[in-house]
Amino acid sequence: MKNRLKVLRAENDWTQADLADRVGVARQTIVALEKDKYSPSLVLAFKFSKLFGKRVDEIFDPEDTDQSIE
Amino acid sequence: MVNPVKRAYRRYLIEIGLSTVAYFAVLWVSNWLLYGQEPGSNGPMQNAGEGWKITIALLPVIPTFIMFAAFVRLVLRTDELQRRVYVDSLALAGGITALLAATYGFIEGNYLPRPSAWWAFETFMAAWLVAALFLQRRYR
Repeated sequence: MKNRLKVLRAENDWTQADLADRVGVARQTIVALEKDKYSPSLVLAFKFSKLFGKRVDEIFDPEDTDQSIE
Repeated sequence: MVNPVKRAYRRYLIEIGLSTVAYFAVLWVSNWLLYGQEPGSNGPMQNAGEGWKITIALLPVIPTFIMFAAFVRLVLRTDELQRRVYVDSLALAGGITALLAATYGFIEGNYLPRPSAWWAFETFMAAWLVAALFLQRRYR
């Protein structure tokens, strides 16, 4: 799933580790999300939404979603 | 604010470290009770009843169970992607082990010797390690 996490993180001048700490995940999870290699759960998507003060669909684009690990 | 994933991993390292030390200690005691310290010698419990000897031989299972519990706690406390990697790699390892066991099963007895039960354990752990490394790489 495409997302704007990298842009939003840069706007806040946060590192990947900063963002990981703020939503309570491993830094590797932020890496995977920013590279569109992993689609977050609803719970995690709402955590990002609350953190950045944006709607979920303003951060994540459901188009071109691939749930497999291929 | 401490990242819960880092906290879970730190706690896991402590728990797995302590249970590993306990495992080797219990294994040493179990072997000493049954077989003594010198190769070919008898331990203090060598002449005990079969029930006692089986119980002593099984003592290392206790710290092994604690290791397993530590891993389960890590899986429950870590984040969703790490949990997915752990669970997917366990499933792959189970499948690989079953496939290898079935393949070997067709030729054991007549053509090849019947392996020890440790064979399945070692194959599963090796397959799990390879599967976990493979899956971790896919998310980098």
